[in-house]
Amino acid sequence: MNPDNVTGASLSRGASVTDRLKMLARLHKIEARRGLFEILSNPLSNIMTVLVIAIALALPAGLQIMLKNAQSLSQGWDGASRISLYLKTDLPEKRINQLAEEIKQQDGVASVEVITQQQALDDFIDGSGFADAISQLDSNPLPPVLVIQPAASHATPQASELMLAHFEKIKEVDVAQLDLDWVRKLYALLQLAEKAASALALALALAVLLIVGNTIRLSVQNRRDEIEVVKLVGATDAFIRRPFLYTGFWYGFLAGVVCWLLLNASLLWLREPVANLAGLYQSEFQLSGLDWQQSLQLIALSCALGLLGSWLSVGRHIRQIEPR
Amino acid sequence: MIEFAEVSKRYPNGQEALRNVTFQLADGEMAFLTGHSGAGKSTLLKLICLMERATAGQVIINGKNLNRTSRRKIPAVRRDIGMIFQDHRLLFDRSVFDNVALPLMIAGYPHREIGRRVRAALDKVGLLSKEKHSPIMLSGGEQQRVGIARAVVNKPPLLLADEPTGNLDPELSAEIMRLFEQFNQVGVSLMIASHDLSLIAQMHYRTLVMKGGRLVGDQNEPGEEQQEADHES
Repeated sequence: MNPDNVTGASLSRGASVTDRLKMLARLHKIEARRGLFEILSNPLSNIMTVLVIAIALALPAGLQIMLKNAQSLSQGWDGASRISLYLKTDLPEKRINQLAEEIKQQDGVASVEVITQQQALDDFIDGSGFADAISQLDSNPLPPVLVIQPAASHATPQASELMLAHFEKIKEVDVAQLDLDWVRKLYALLQLAEKAASALALALALAVLLIVGNTIRLSVQNRRDEIEVVKLVGATDAFIRRPFLYTGFWYGFLAGVVCWLLLNASLLWLREPVANLAGLYQSEFQLSGLDWQQSLQLIALSCALGLLGSWLSVGRHIRQIEPR
Repeated sequence: MIEFAEVSKRYPNGQEALRNVTFQLADGEMAFLTGHSGAGKSTLLKLICLMERATAGQVIINGKNLNRTSRRKIPAVRRDIGMIFQDHRLLFDRSVFDNVALPLMIAGYPHREIGRRVRAALDKVGLLSKEKHSPIMLSGGEQQRVGIARAVVNKPPLLLADEPTGNLDPELSAEIMRLFEQFNQVGVSLMIASHDLSLIAQMHYRTLVMKGGRLVGDQNEPGEEQQEADHES
């Protein structure tokens, strides 16, 4: 008997696994294209949705970029955590240099600068304009100083403080000082900002899920008749879900791209004034944006949110639609 | 093919749509289901394709007991049943070809196979030249034929039709009925709900008559080729 005449061929029995996979891939291609066309075919309302998602993503992403820049800026100010060792005034110069060498050998020390009593006095005369007053003194009241620059790995407030405690114990050291306070404040501020940014990112990610979910819910309701028909001809839930998942994915993708454009446009807009400002502080600082890896991460995250949002929404809503 | 054993259906609002319905439809048999509107014809068909569930009794289709079919298994049952509706239920945003291809796409047929089968089905209903049209451009009779092509394209063993000629003039109705007869001749079982008594009378097939949710008549008027099948039932 001709196999085509056999009734009850409800499934493509006889189709090989590769054929089935090919068909599945083809179906995915068709659905992916249809999902995109559906968004593009109703530009006005869908562009609004994409923009809302893009802005919701751009806010935390922009904040992250700002934080990253602030951190790189504060790293440029590691010098601030320099340790000054004021030595006793009666040390011979040879001993001072020897001490500097010893300290240089220690862990976490990047460099040691020696400021002799004479240099300190010269600097003071140059900088203060008290030359006349100083010349009245019979001896140099300024101590020799060792200025220690911690290595980058020891530049955090905690590490610097440990180091300070260590240097304080050297018997030639009169006073050890670390100008740390404002560095500590800056770090605390950055940490707070980071936490706040994470909370904001979480809240807005949730908002994106809800926006996509709601859009997909409306889309499911608009296609109620179609869903009933495909259910009647034997479609599984997975089959019905697929185009909506693609729609959600495309929303995420488009929003990710728009978000990326928004961020780069604002960075471009800010670059000039930031460079001007940095120039006033004699700094070479430049705003850094997203490198390609972060750009891809942003778009991938956006796609994932779109997909997840539609996934959470579509399953529940197509279940409610049964043919009548 | 179809077996109803003391089936009752009561809707949540208390309406009793079917009361104690018992009948069998043999493999390859064609039968009409008639009665006034509200007599339970549609409910009976809905129980077969699992759009509704029986509140009592057994419905067995193609050897499967539908009472024991889980929600996840419903698609598999429906793929073995071709359904034809009075309002056609076509998708107007897709071409005629895509409408007919739908059951095959769902079942995961390979691409080339789909093209071949869809064209065969459209050829059967005489609409091969309109495969690229949108259903909205077709007349009511043509739309109904697209619906029929969609119902038979994956060669189900059972066809259900709910008032398939409800909106058609007598000539088109007769044409549709001739199509049904042709499917029946290649071994497909058919159950056609209709209140077009004159049309049914011309056809000489087994007729189940419903009234107030009960099966009140089962007249065997087999056509020549149906005698054997009816004998079994």
